[in-house]
Amino acid sequence: MKLGIVGKGGVGKTTISALVAQTYAARGMRVLAVDTDSNPNLALSLGLSPEAAEAVPVLPRSLVVGTGDGAITPADLLVRYGIDTPGDVKLLNAMAITQAGAG
Amino acid sequence: MRSLLGAAIEDEADVTLVDMEAGLEHLSRSGGTLAYADVLLMIMEPSRKSILTAARTIALARELGIPRVYGVGNKARLPDDAEFFEEVAAEYGVPLAGIVPHDADVVEADRRGHVLLDGKGEPVKEAVRQVIAFVDRSLVDA
Repeated sequence: MKLGIVGKGGVGKTTISALVAQTYAARGMRVLAVDTDSNPNLALSLGLSPEAAEAVPVLPRSLVVGTGDGAITPADLLVRYGIDTPGDVKLLNAMAITQAGAG
Repeated sequence: MRSLLGAAIEDEADVTLVDMEAGLEHLSRSGGTLAYADVLLMIMEPSRKSILTAARTIALARELGIPRVYGVGNKARLPDDAEFFEEVAAEYGVPLAGIVPHDADVVEADRRGHVLLDGKGEPVKEAVRQVIAFVDRSLVDA
């Protein structure tokens, strides 16, 4: 199931996103949380320290907007860019998405 | 063509949750990411500005063909704000997946940049469980 969570800045979107992700994970489901905000804060809400949150690698734009053929498999992508968080949610930082079409 | 993130990555998870910035631009640009969402939750706070943003986003989400678009009222001071959210949802024809109460523990956690620890913010966590139950029912009914 793919679930999008949107909202204007400051409405509490990230807090709710983190709680939804952690609730599904607590039920034993494999949860992938993708932060596409240009100011990514989901890492903190998922329980990473500020230092760990800073160190989350950003997905290269080519992987985000690419066609997905060849370069890297989804499983490898998660191994390379996915970060485990304390509530068993795997986090990807894909903030490049919001910049991809800018201008 | 779907992007890698928009397609195959979903096979690696039971639930893929995408935290998006609001506004039309990001939703429309991210075709591969959100155009294929099964469910879109539009988080609102009790302000007219937040509702106007929500209304625009909802219209675009429908254009993109996202099958289930629901509102979630956040930071609600009960019971007045619950009424506000219900009126607004009716006005825009968007089902409300739930109403999340204003909670001092969340404000405190935000202030410190912390997570909500065990035993903190229980009314908020319970409201989120109800939102999830609503989403799960909507998937079964489909």
